Amino acid sequence: MNEDTKKKINAKYERELNNSSERFWPDSIFKDVIVALGLFILLIMMATFIGVHDTPKADPSDTSYLPRPEWYFLFLFKFLALYGQIPVLGKIEFIAAIIIPVIVLGVLTALPFIEKSPYRYYGKRVLPISVMAIFIVSMVTLTWISDIPTTSGEEGIYVAGILQTIGGLIVPGLGFLLLFIMAFTMKEKAKQPMIWTAVIASVLMIAFTGATVLTAPGRESAEEEIPVTLPDRIVAGQDLYSVYCVECHGDDGSAITIENTEVVDGVEVTTTTEITPINTRDVLYTLTDSAMVEVIAYGRPNYGMNPFGLAYGGELTRTQIDQMVTFMRYAWDDRFEMPEIPELFPPLAEGEVPSYEVHIAPIVKRYCVSCHRAGKDNNDYLMTSYAEILTTGENAEFNIIPGEDYEQSYLLITIQEQPILDENGEEIIGVMPPKSVLKADVVNVWQLWILNGMPETAEEAAALSDIPVNTETP
Amino acid sequence: MWKKVYDWLDERLGFDSLYKGLLDRPEPEGNWWNTLGSASLFLFVMQGLTGIFLTVYYTPSPDHAYDSIQYIMNDVAFGWLIRGVHHWGSSLMVLVVFIHLVRVFVTASFKYPRELTWLVGVGLFLLTVGMGFTGYLLPWHQQAFWATTVGTQIVGSVPFIGDFLLQALRGGPDLSALTLQRFFSAHIWILPGLLAALIGVHLYQIIKHGESHFPDEED
Repeated sequence: MNEDTKKKINAKYERELNNSSERFWPDSIFKDVIVALGLFILLIMMATFIGVHDTPKADPSDTSYLPRPEWYFLFLFKFLALYGQIPVLGKIEFIAAIIIPVIVLGVLTALPFIEKSPYRYYGKRVLPISVMAIFIVSMVTLTWISDIPTTSGEEGIYVAGILQTIGGLIVPGLGFLLLFIMAFTMKEKAKQPMIWTAVIASVLMIAFTGATVLTAPGRESAEEEIPVTLPDRIVAGQDLYSVYCVECHGDDGSAITIENTEVVDGVEVTTTTEITPINTRDVLYTLTDSAMVEVIAYGRPNYGMNPFGLAYGGELTRTQIDQMVTFMRYAWDDRFEMPEIPELFPPLAEGEVPSYEVHIAPIVKRYCVSCHRAGKDNNDYLMTSYAEILTTGENAEFNIIPGEDYEQSYLLITIQEQPILDENGEEIIGVMPPKSVLKADVVNVWQLWILNGMPETAEEAAALSDIPVNTETP
Repeated sequence: MWKKVYDWLDERLGFDSLYKGLLDRPEPEGNWWNTLGSASLFLFVMQGLTGIFLTVYYTPSPDHAYDSIQYIMNDVAFGWLIRGVHHWGSSLMVLVVFIHLVRVFVTASFKYPRELTWLVGVGLFLLTVGMGFTGYLLPWHQQAFWATTVGTQIVGSVPFIGDFLLQALRGGPDLSALTLQRFFSAHIWILPGLLAALIGVHLYQIIKHGESHFPDEED
């Protein structure tokens, strides 16, 4: 840039200053303060009404977790995923991951030394502005489709995959190419065509992205609820304890023996193992929380306790084990005071019919699933879902008998402390749960549920309910 | 009385020249697009203040990071508000700084005599994104843990020096307590220090050259 141009630019700036009546204080500052105030209010609103949703605690052993960066990196992630689909070149990851971003950032940094023309007016800078426009539109569209899978993982044509490759990779790529070709071949006459290229490319990108969103298979927005308050964590821990620990340690951790019946050479052999009750001061006062977590995660292989932590081949994440330990502390340790715990299920009103989702599911989780899940000795009767409860098991047709004979349901008989006997008087199903007795209100829920034809959702149950209309004030 | 105090202070601090040099400057006709820079500065200050409050309770260790954040969210008075503002402030800051960058690009305000202002500005943008990247790991939750695993892996794909960079970022082959400690240190000392210094330079450059005007056909 020669001295003349510099002088011209400085003179123009002087004229702009003289033509303006604005001063930094108070004109600019006034606007700045208003914007700052607006942002401040926006932040307070977001913190209050949206809040922060944390995922569970980091668990290095849970490698199945789908990583998801901050939203402003999503476009880069999506670009990487799409780029990986390109044959041959796509395999060289660092081209897309390092080289391209470094080039983009390099150009951005060195911009004043690359775009050396002294012109600032928009009409004289069609090429850079068009490039930037396509770049920003592609950033936005890539962010928009970032959680749509790039491949379906199956054979055959995946429409959304093709559409997003066109909209996210091919159109912007062609757009950039066209812009540069025009700028260098048509020179002065390129202005109009370049503007049209940018506009059409942007419209196409948005259209293909929209089509991608429409054709993509339904997205599961399964947001896990993480228990955060103490009572919620205790309940979550108790549910987990009921599934994974009750069998050996008993309802309240007081079990001192484990009976294990095995059939060896046609003869039933029962072995009894003595264990330490885990609800005593001996255990609770001497083991810290982290030591308890370790015991649950690693198990005690020499004493027959399997590892439960994901890292050691079990099923539980660190967060889940933490919840269990919280439950054990508050339930049994006399140094901790149990906070008020929400009830397992809302108590039934007069004439109300219980439903699976509100009443039965939490009961099953607390008292039954421990044994009635895959891989346990349970006559193949699984109870982890509504359908399983009704249809599985060797005695499926007798387990639950809706209607008049509901009292004959095996399930209702066994939970009322009566074993099922065959014609020779041999026990085929023992009392349920084997080591504890269900409270009367729980049994009552089961009776009403089966009597009324096992409604699944709360709405179905409400339709069957016969709640007397409250005409008088109680 | 006040006049005397003012005069005494003015003699030593020079309020008048400060006022003339910093505040009472003429400016070209501006509009609301000119507020993006100061909005970024405001967000930086907000992040700084809320961040300082958060360090009072936050513990940068894998055993306690998550729980200390839960404690801030559930038990500390207004902890949820401070954390919420810090969380959303980071997103907003990246957004506002980026829009500021695009605005300067579109009006070509990076041209003579403001080339270095742009250079420093790009540095500020990268540091802001770096703050976002390092801060994301600190709550030590699943999403952050695995996103950072992948993010650092990408750095590791650089030919020749990738492995070194990966080890330097993670403090070992895997994400560990060291990684968290490094990210924490970068997030609360190194990056904000650089940011603050560069912001100072950026502001000096703006005062030196004045705000650029919106271009017309003459430019």
